[in-house]
Parts: sequence; C-alpha cells; structure tokens
Amino acid sequence: MAFISFSQLDPVEGIATLQREIERFLRRPLGIDLGPSAYGVYPPINVFADKEGLVARAEVPGVAPASISVRVERRTLTISGERLPESRTDGSFHRRERRFGKFSRSLQLPEDLDTERASAECRNGLLTVRIPRRPEAQPRQIQVQAS
Amino acid sequence: MAEQELTAKEKQELEDKESTRPGRYFVPDVDIYEDEHNLWLRADMPGVEQKNVEVELHDDILTLHGRVSLDAYEGLTPLYTEYNVGHYLRRFTLPDAAKFERDRITARMANGVLEVQLPKAERAKARRIPVSAG
Repeated sequence: MAFISFSQLDPVEGIATLQREIERFLRRPLGIDLGPSAYGVYPPINVFADKEGLVARAEVPGVAPASISVRVERRTLTISGERLPESRTDGSFHRRERRFGKFSRSLQLPEDLDTERASAECRNGLLTVRIPRRPEAQPRQIQVQAS
Repeated sequence: MAEQELTAKEKQELEDKESTRPGRYFVPDVDIYEDEHNLWLRADMPGVEQKNVEVELHDDILTLHGRVSLDAYEGLTPLYTEYNVGHYLRRFTLPDAAKFERDRITARMANGVLEVQLPKAERAKARRIPVSAG
C-alpha cells in the first residue's frame, strides 16, 4: 500500500493526503475478518456500511443466481457456488481468458448484526448481501432536556 | 477433468492515457469462440446493465464498451475493499472483418456477461470438398 505518492509533492496536498491515508488505515474494518490472506480467493469481496447495517458485494459474472448459495452460521457468512463453462465442442477457442470452477468464501461478521434479517440478491453478475444491524445497535437520537 | 477451484484474478486497469472518457476503465476478460456459422465473444462485465452496453464494428475494429451504474453504490461507505469498480472497454482487430454479416451482429447481456454473435456470411463458411477417387 502506497501511503504517499512522491510524484505530486505539493506540501499542502501531501499532508492532506497523508491525513486521509492515516484515517483510512485507522478505520480498518472493525469486526470483519476475512482470514489471514484473502488475496487470490474468489470472489473478491467489497464490504460497505450503509445506514441499515452491512453490505457485502462480490462480482460473480456468468454465475446463475440460482446456483449461488449464501449462508450465515452464527457470525460466519459463506458465499459459494460454481461458474460453469459453456459446454461446446463443435468449434474452437481463439482466446480463453475467463476462468471457471467452484468457489467458496467466508467472512466473519461483526457481532451487532441481525443475521435473521439478512437478504441477498444477484443482478447483472453482482451479488449483494445486506445484513441490518440489531435494533439495539442502531444509533439513537437522545433528546436534550432543558431543565 | 478433475474438479476445478476458481481463483481470483486482479482486474487490469486500461492503459489508455489519452482517453477522453471520464472515469476508470478496466479490461474485461474475454473468450473468443468460433464455430461453423458464427464467431462468439463473451466478456465479463459485472454490474453492467444491458442498456449501458455498446458494441460497435467499425471497419475491422470491434469495440466492446460497458458502463457500470454507480447508483448501486449510493449511500455506501467502504469498510474493506478487494476489487475496484469501473467501466469496461476492449477493442479487437478482426483481420477477416469482411466475412461477417454486419447487419446481423447481435449482442446480449446475461448475468453480467456480454455475448456478441457475429454471423459468418454464406460465402465465408468453410465448405467440405469431396475428394473423388481417381
């Protein structure tokens, strides 16, 4: 991870960039554990927060939504499935870059999520799993009383 | 064939420094397959809706262009990211572009995969020539 780009050494912008990078570094996912090294594991996952809770998104082009399994067991979310190649033998390939096979990926979820209300959808090869926070973990506005 | 496990491949950013298009572009993975009647291209473009795809054959350059909708990311704050999001662009030179019926080229999206069918013109199809015994 590159913290500072030396190609653009504008002192003010440099400090601002460093500040942003430090903030990003410190804001690492609290409670989301993808194991020791997630590199090269399919599918790559992006994890977001929205006002409801947690949103995990994976790119799974060419995988039929019906063949994707999304499971939550205690605090572990598992996404698995298989990307099947087109089974054709009457022609020949000029180029073959797309990969096929089975996949399975797990991630450890934070504790304050309500996995009972988790939902998943797959559109245009984009799998989105939404898990809302528990009601008691939702932020609450507290009225300030004038005495 | 033994059971195959799928491994991830890092997305390749398009190195097109003179692009006038805004936004980030990636190179989609493509399979090109040829059978007797057609040339088929399949490109992985996850997150691209059918209406945001452009397929163009200009002279002998076939361009595949897919734009992702960023609406799906509205209101989301990234906590942890493993892949980048951007549009897709890929160009191929078809050395034998004249052998395809340009008016009959079709393209469709299914589960984030763009499939382009280029039908071969009748005269360009391979013909089996019977060898007669002398």
